[in-house]
Amino acid sequence: MKRREFLKTSALAGAALTLNFEGLQAALSSNTMAVESAPDMVAVMGGEPAALLDKALEEMGGIGKYIKKGQKVVIKPNIGWDRTPELAGNTNPELIKALVKKCLDAGASKVTVFDHTCDEWRKCYNSSGIEAAVKEAGGIIVPGNEEKYYKEVAIPGGVKIKNAKIHEALLEADAWINVPILKNHGGAKLSSAMKNYMGIVWDRRFFHQNDLQQCIADICTWQKKPVLNIVDAYRIMHQNGPQGKSAADVATLKSIIVSPNIVAIDTAALGLFNQVKKLDMDAVGHIGKGEELKLGSTNLEKVNIKRIRL
Amino acid sequence: MQQTNYLKWTRVLLAVLFFIPITLYFIDFAGILPDSMHRLLHLQLIPAILGGMVGIVLLQVILVLLLGRIYCSAICPAGVLQDIINRIFCIGKKKKKGTSRFRYTRPANILRYTLLGATILLALFGITELLVWLDPYSNFGRIAANLFRPVYIWGNNIIAGQLAKVDNYTLYHVTLKTVNAAGLTAGIIALLVFIGMVVFRGRLFCNTLCPVGGLLGLLSRYSLFTISFNKSSCNSCGNCERACKAEAIDSKSLKVDTSRCVDCFNCISTCKKSSLHYGINPLYKKAAKKEEQPVSSQNMAYNRRSFLATGVTVAATLPVISTVAQSVKEGKLTGGNEKRRPITPPGSINIERFKDKCTGCHLCVAKCPSQILRPAGLQFGLGYLLRPYVSYYNSYCNYECTICSDVCPTHALKPLTVEEKVTTQVGIANFYIDRCIVNTEEKDCGACSEHCPTQAVHMVPYKGTLTIPNVIPDLCIGCGGCESICPVNPDRAIIVIANEVHQQVSKPEEEEVLDIQIDDFGF
Repeated sequence: MKRREFLKTSALAGAALTLNFEGLQAALSSNTMAVESAPDMVAVMGGEPAALLDKALEEMGGIGKYIKKGQKVVIKPNIGWDRTPELAGNTNPELIKALVKKCLDAGASKVTVFDHTCDEWRKCYNSSGIEAAVKEAGGIIVPGNEEKYYKEVAIPGGVKIKNAKIHEALLEADAWINVPILKNHGGAKLSSAMKNYMGIVWDRRFFHQNDLQQCIADICTWQKKPVLNIVDAYRIMHQNGPQGKSAADVATLKSIIVSPNIVAIDTAALGLFNQVKKLDMDAVGHIGKGEELKLGSTNLEKVNIKRIRL
Repeated sequence: MQQTNYLKWTRVLLAVLFFIPITLYFIDFAGILPDSMHRLLHLQLIPAILGGMVGIVLLQVILVLLLGRIYCSAICPAGVLQDIINRIFCIGKKKKKGTSRFRYTRPANILRYTLLGATILLALFGITELLVWLDPYSNFGRIAANLFRPVYIWGNNIIAGQLAKVDNYTLYHVTLKTVNAAGLTAGIIALLVFIGMVVFRGRLFCNTLCPVGGLLGLLSRYSLFTISFNKSSCNSCGNCERACKAEAIDSKSLKVDTSRCVDCFNCISTCKKSSLHYGINPLYKKAAKKEEQPVSSQNMAYNRRSFLATGVTVAATLPVISTVAQSVKEGKLTGGNEKRRPITPPGSINIERFKDKCTGCHLCVAKCPSQILRPAGLQFGLGYLLRPYVSYYNSYCNYECTICSDVCPTHALKPLTVEEKVTTQVGIANFYIDRCIVNTEEKDCGACSEHCPTQAVHMVPYKGTLTIPNVIPDLCIGCGGCESICPVNPDRAIIVIANEVHQQVSKPEEEEVLDIQIDDFGF
């Protein structure tokens, strides 16, 4: 059986080699994975945002595994900046649109999207294309610009943060999906899934005052964890982040990574990022601190990852 | 007998057509109305004069020379507001106490023209205080921006709160940050002055204090069309006199003071004998006929006398004014007790120019989506009172936003293209390392650099993996992104210091867009 499997694989590999390299990888991975349960992480490369998402979710066991019928769902993208999608300041609107649709198709009773933006929120919602995308898909986009939307919750697992005001949409949600875009970041060094949590809280200044890297890890210990993290690396911002200056800051990688394991996904995202710009793991302090707080593993060897090229 | 007063209803219609959009434009925080609506405000006379809009000034002159001061009853929002106050005051009152409570008074011409002369002269010497305090449009603006707008937002917030409960976010909650003591005081004073004057003396503001009223009044004596009496049919009942808000009709000598008449046409409605009509100015009929000229010559003589008196008063005060102007200006420049300079909005070019051109209507304050503009109190000196200054306490200037300079009706803020805006330096960020978290706590922060759109504030290697902000002044446009987010209290570690004269900086160098291709996941 093993031998036959191996032969088949080799034959496929040989065939794939003559055609293209991506085919080989896909064949190899699909073959080895077939006998195992759904992976802990899926990375997909080489397609449009909606297609990437389709494939990734399919491999992760389908959206229905994470979103149940009748649930109130929140999708939390990064909509921090008054930037168009091409400049990679915000999560890709097509990805958000496809995801809202998937959640609704899975039977979500409502899908709400928000971010506590940095630039003026109406401009961000508009320029990012996310407001339009959410509305087209049938979701609800809510403001996150006023303190009154945020309610205090305890963060017992935090080292520096013991309480935080979190957006009420999340407090009410039955499930939420964390959808950052992968970016360089002046303060936190890397902006990915863990850093995206800063958009769910009201007082970000506290983070900067009290050891930013620790606070990012702390807030991720909030008991209501996202059912999935989806790192948008369709376009990434490899320098001058998180806001960016121009198209020169952007690399189009046409990739996404999906995992419920937030430390692992950020470790993987850093690996992807490192191919464009060198960035030391130690500099991105919050990932290591997240591991210390038992939020996940930085050791990707132990994580069942499926890598797919479309 | 009495016919439908088409003139009055046309006036009312015009007033509504100007007043409602202008008021809505001031209170519309959500940007529902198009920005281009600011064009409506260019018709306002003082802004047009200050903005050097010759065409509009000429148009207004022609309008008044043809039709009289219809401007004051239809175009001027402060005028219409006074009419509305009057309407409200008359509700439920008998005619005698309400709509017909006025009586003829002699014009306060000396006060009126001295004030006008002083306003103009001071403005020519660069002291625009009187103009700022008296301009009717700007007073209306201060009422709308500092009083009406908060009420509107308060109402919006209540409805938004209810709608949010059923997942409708068409309306959203807004926390108002732009209304401060200075703006509120200015708005309340203006409104109280209007209410007080209207209740007791009708359009007294327009005919004594208002520089626009004064200016138009000089011309409206010679308007082609005016209201005048048909002496043969008039029975001197006095109805018209009592209905005249401008207190300009003398029903005994059957004269209408056309320099004070604001063309409201109420008198025409009240006259049962149809003895008042709006037609060719008797002045011109008489001139054509070259006949007896008893009334008008008396009138003219009177006018000439008050004109002369005004001229003499103004001439006498001229040296005083110029000395005052000089000393005030010098005081401003040397700064007396060294007050901090205000950061002026982009497009203002320099502080001095801005002070001279801005009338403090607070439209920019109301329109700024980031709510960073505030009306100044006395913190920058009397010369800057009520002008908007930029505060980065809560928020910062959105990089590509040009709305304040787009809407400014006096062009005190010169309209800027996005390209010009992003290269206009209104101030420079100053970094104080001894207060910075990265230095004092030895922890990552970088909030300032994060918010810097030009990366003038960028992070450079510090201890270990730490990076610390560094400012390149030549790239900084003073948008305040850094200052607004700096977590250090109470004095922030990075603060924008105003440029007295705005500078032009170069855009951040366009880096080459590299075609980055990767084939691997890298993990």
